[in-house]
Amino acid sequence: MNTIDEFVALLHDEVGLPVSADDVETGLDQVPGWDSVHLLTLMMALERRTGRTIPMPELLEAPSLGHIYRLASA
Amino acid sequence: MTTTEVRVLAAGSALPGPPVDNAALADRFRMDASWQQWVDVFIGTRSRHLAVDLASGEVRSSLAELAASAATRALDNAGVAPGEVDVMVLGTATPDRLMPATVNTVADLLGIDGIPTYQLQSGCTGAVAALDIGRQLLLTGEHRTALVLGGDVCAKHFDPDIDLKSLSPAELVNVVLFGDGAGAAVLTTEPVDGAPVLRRVLNRLVGLGRAPGQVVDWYGQARRASDGPALSEDYKAIEELVPVMAVEVLEELLTSLGWQDTDVDYLLPPQLSGTMTARIVKDLGLPAAEEVTCVVEIANIGNAAPFVQLERTLPELAPGDRAVGIAIESSKWIKAGFALERD
Repeated sequence: MNTIDEFVALLHDEVGLPVSADDVETGLDQVPGWDSVHLLTLMMALERRTGRTIPMPELLEAPSLGHIYRLASA
Repeated sequence: MTTTEVRVLAAGSALPGPPVDNAALADRFRMDASWQQWVDVFIGTRSRHLAVDLASGEVRSSLAELAASAATRALDNAGVAPGEVDVMVLGTATPDRLMPATVNTVADLLGIDGIPTYQLQSGCTGAVAALDIGRQLLLTGEHRTALVLGGDVCAKHFDPDIDLKSLSPAELVNVVLFGDGAGAAVLTTEPVDGAPVLRRVLNRLVGLGRAPGQVVDWYGQARRASDGPALSEDYKAIEELVPVMAVEVLEELLTSLGWQDTDVDYLLPPQLSGTMTARIVKDLGLPAAEEVTCVVEIANIGNAAPFVQLERTLPELAPGDRAVGIAIESSKWIKAGFALERD
């Protein structure tokens, strides 16, 4: 997970979320179609991709998809 | 002879095996702590009972066995012998077989014969539909004692070996949402002291033009499986519509009975998941009602849930107490509810 484009592609292909790079830094409540099940699917997709677990409390506090990207790529 | 009042004499339930908590599910499906935390936060269901043994994958209970156990408890609680039952109605989304109807296998296990029996193909409102039909049959005056049942066993859909990481979001939710169980209630036309009167039963299809919120497929010899999953749900539609419909059911029941919202002493809300039920109860806003909820410990058990709630409520009812039960079925969208009053 090295670029934001990779992250957006993962959101498309594995989470089924039709977002653009512009949506990444908007608040999660503004992301079209975003819900709690996407959070779970994204968490599992990131674990598969990076081999690392992001603790759920950190994901729950993430204000944007960009924040989650930075947690995953940190 | 016709009668005007039907009473609920008693209820009973049966759940398979020990409770399976989220940690046990996580362990079986090789999921981590984050997955468990997600279930805790967003589903709010802590445990469930499963007809499938998680370790061996073997099915340990059929729906018929669970329903017969639940019926035996309800009949014992009512002080009624199986031979006194003169009509039976079972609601289920997951019959053991398409034929014979599970209701007739339950009758066999109970030693009941020579009476009319009915089975409803139903989802979450099946228990209310069974209460409705049982009540209507008793109101004809041709029967005195009805045994109404509901239950579901998801064993045909629950695969302990499935890779959760390969599932779609909608399928993922189903794995943690549902449990197995059965329940029963005994209805009577006798004016039994202490048994509450079933004042009203509402059971209404409202699905015209609406896409199904939940689909369960079935297969046969020539058509083994479709391309899609056997069980799927539109959780977004459910989240949006069920709370609204629950409020509509409550308002309609109260209006039809001339009851105020402060008159309801016990609320038996829809049992979707811990978080959804909490949200619905908040929306229903009954200030004086004690909530009777079991979904947090035993998950969504479909057609069985209202009977478990009734089993817990009936012994608590004092003279003059009123209770309202609500169930919403998201398959083709059905609104249902009932009102009880102890005189």
